[in-house]
Amino acid sequence: MEKVIYFDNSATSWPKPEKVLEEIKYFLEEIGGSPGRSGHRMSVAASRLIEEVREAVGEVFNYSDTSRIIFTKNITEALNICIFSLLRTGDHVVTSSTEHNSVMRPLRFLESNGSISLSVVNCNSDGTLYPEDVSKVIRKNTRMVMLTHASNVVGTILPIKEIASITMENNIPFVIDCAQTAGALPINIDLGKYKNCVLTFTGHKGLMGLTGTGGMCIGGDINLSPIIFGGTGSGSDGDIQPDFLPDKLESGTMNITGLAGLKAGVEFLLSKGISQVRSHERKLVDRFIKKASQIKGVKIYGTKDANRQAGLISFNIKNLSPSEVGLILDRKYSIMCRVGLHCNPNAHKTIGTFPEGTLRFSFSYFNTVEQIDYSISALEEILKIG
Amino acid sequence: MDGVITFYSSQQVIKAEKVLKKNGCKVILIPGPREISPNCGVALCFEFKKEKEISKILNNNKITFEAIYHYPKAKKMSKWLD
Repeated sequence: MEKVIYFDNSATSWPKPEKVLEEIKYFLEEIGGSPGRSGHRMSVAASRLIEEVREAVGEVFNYSDTSRIIFTKNITEALNICIFSLLRTGDHVVTSSTEHNSVMRPLRFLESNGSISLSVVNCNSDGTLYPEDVSKVIRKNTRMVMLTHASNVVGTILPIKEIASITMENNIPFVIDCAQTAGALPINIDLGKYKNCVLTFTGHKGLMGLTGTGGMCIGGDINLSPIIFGGTGSGSDGDIQPDFLPDKLESGTMNITGLAGLKAGVEFLLSKGISQVRSHERKLVDRFIKKASQIKGVKIYGTKDANRQAGLISFNIKNLSPSEVGLILDRKYSIMCRVGLHCNPNAHKTIGTFPEGTLRFSFSYFNTVEQIDYSISALEEILKIG
Repeated sequence: MDGVITFYSSQQVIKAEKVLKKNGCKVILIPGPREISPNCGVALCFEFKKEKEISKILNNNKITFEAIYHYPKAKKMSKWLD
């Protein structure tokens, strides 16, 4: 492929580390079996591989109880499992005004059919959230707090540690959407201490794995029931779903090829160090903010402080729609980015960009300072056309 | 190899195998004999005289297992493996 500048890592990360392709090839050629199903060496090799993926993911989240690290097909599925298995009629849920539709849509569904009541705590227009605003709305029947670690639109990092303490004190499950942060910045929630928390993740963004993978690390006090039932390779002498983890929540055959790729992606990250990845992305965000702020006609959203932002930034160009700019960036400058509403209308309402949306640049370890500088000159040129 | 540890879940078998090998125990993963391991397709065989030691390591590492059996037939199976 011609040389492109890929600034759409919040949608999916690209490129993947080379080892990811190698690991997939190795799996398909040498392992090939279905884990936990048969006793032959190819199936056993697959079982061993899956356990290694759990261990690798466990290292990212600093969680060693691998039976409580569950794999799903994406983070949307993990969030849905939490919602549909923890909530009962009459429960109250707290969430924020910058959540992705994977959080909002299932919650709005349950609210609209009268099952739950929902408090949507307002973030400020820069995406920040005050923990006390979450405390204020907690009630006797609050059964879950569900928040993003950093919004996929505005990128502002939310105070999840403070909220983990608040929810732990109130004995409320706290489900955190780490879609934009897992692998990209250290997630300092010790599930050994905050047993009321669930850390959900996707495999194909910051963790550098394949699409079709995701999951969650479940704190020791959280008891999730399955929403999908089926074969697990265990208890096959009976037709009742097993009640032990991970089998209880992993019915059917997983995306083993994808998980093989995820293992390689995670191992790559751990070899570089997630703090290094964070440091690199923060430098890119910082450089973009500083340079873009000097261009008249570029409006940047969020705190404008790279220390408080994940590795993504939303912005707009004066007199030009996001779609138009996005098309020119793609066709003329080979810069890939996502424009529009990013599956997150509420975040755009929060920052004041609804319904037009924004352009979003989202970075990975593989983006460079030179690419940032090039994109800045591209925006300057585009502004002249507008 | 005349002892067999049976499990509910193959994930626990893999964990157990890792932990026991790390502690210097000789264990071999075998297809779970149906009459003692109806729940899970694989099991671990070991020298039954090491039962107490094995059991202690599994419990210390919070590995969930179903049962430990004296199963002399395992000798025949393990002959096929390393």
